[in-house]
Amino acid sequence: MSAVCLERKPVLSGELNEIERKFSRMLADIELENSHKSDHEVRYETETLQAELLKSKSLDLDIEQTLQQTAQDFEDAAVDEYNKFVFESRITEADKANDLQNLERKLDRHLLLLVQQKQWDQKIWALPQGLQKDGETMLQTAERVLREKCGDDLTVQFYGNAPCGVYKYKYPKMFVSREEEGPVGAKVFFFKAQYIAGYVDHNKLKLQEFKWLGREELMSSLSQEYYRNISQFLIDEE
Amino acid sequence: MIGCLDVDVGFRCADRCLLFAEPLKKKKRIDPAILKQREERKKKRLEKQIRRLERNAKQLKPIDELEVPLELVDGKKERMREAAVITPAVEEERALLTKDWTRYKRKQHLKDMQMIDRLMFAQQKALDELRQESEELYQAAIQINPTLLPFTVRGPVKTPPIKGYDSPDGEYTDVSKKCVVNNHWTGVVNPCLQVYESNCTEEQNM
Repeated sequence: MSAVCLERKPVLSGELNEIERKFSRMLADIELENSHKSDHEVRYETETLQAELLKSKSLDLDIEQTLQQTAQDFEDAAVDEYNKFVFESRITEADKANDLQNLERKLDRHLLLLVQQKQWDQKIWALPQGLQKDGETMLQTAERVLREKCGDDLTVQFYGNAPCGVYKYKYPKMFVSREEEGPVGAKVFFFKAQYIAGYVDHNKLKLQEFKWLGREELMSSLSQEYYRNISQFLIDEE
Repeated sequence: MIGCLDVDVGFRCADRCLLFAEPLKKKKRIDPAILKQREERKKKRLEKQIRRLERNAKQLKPIDELEVPLELVDGKKERMREAAVITPAVEEERALLTKDWTRYKRKQHLKDMQMIDRLMFAQQKALDELRQESEELYQAAIQINPTLLPFTVRGPVKTPPIKGYDSPDGEYTDVSKKCVVNNHWTGVVNPCLQVYESNCTEEQNM
């Protein structure tokens, strides 16, 4: 059997933690101390000096100079523009609504696709998997499984021909076929893929049947052993 | 005459200049067309040199050849900052923070290495199991996939893109000329003749 470990990689860079913030501030301070003044700063200083001279002694007012935009004005205008510009917030609506089917959730974390699958008599959450057909390599099986389950709209990039992990399990005795040569268990080979674009086809998978989960939420949805196996080949997150 | 040095020098100089100089040549009338040609040639030479300079300016200099711009070298005095006063307390704090940082980074590095080892182990295990299943599938799995390279990914950003953002710099319109060949039928004189006309039309793409 082949399974697909489809991940939506982080879109946003993560927040700095405390030590990172402190260190970056310290580096900025040292940088400032060791630097020379920029053109803008030099201009600003000469203009403040001129303004003070104008106040104390009456220098000849150079009309041309006063009409030009002073460095202070330029700085104020720039700061104004920056404050007026509205950036898109890092926490999207999908985060607030906790919409598990939406890909906009948790933009700075990995999201993994889980699909509801029938295993014997119950439905469980697992990575999309399917049986290998004759004449297919495992990777082709994985691609086919993904296309069948999620439709053609989803664009993914598989990372190479080799599987990244394996999960072996034995069928419980009730379901083992009567013949002695029948399969006793199954091996599921996982193939890693990266989500690029597109959406899961809702005709193939209804809303309750799939979800995109972050790492922390995986443990609650998957069985212990399965989770342990999968976490072996998933990238860490703090 | 010899020995006339004491006499009026000015007159003598003028006299001598008149005698030693060649008779002034008459200024020939140069054809205005030739004049124009000369001017044009000079202009072209200048323009060529300008173009050559610009071309060189567009090519980036190698880093080794870059120099500090003269304005900065000359204005060094006015650009220097006053030496900042760093109290010993601040210095101590900075030293401690640097040590904390090295410790933090080391732990991070170790964790990364452990993760990579774990990933590689998991993949090796999977490949071993696959080999047990079938040699053919295993060989297919080991193949290098040439379509994967070149692989490009756009890195994470600070804020997500604004939906439907109208860029103030404007859209890019492709104004490149495209040639279209038209066939014309000259019907009246000789119905067998076909005249081919090529028309270059400008097409603007959104």
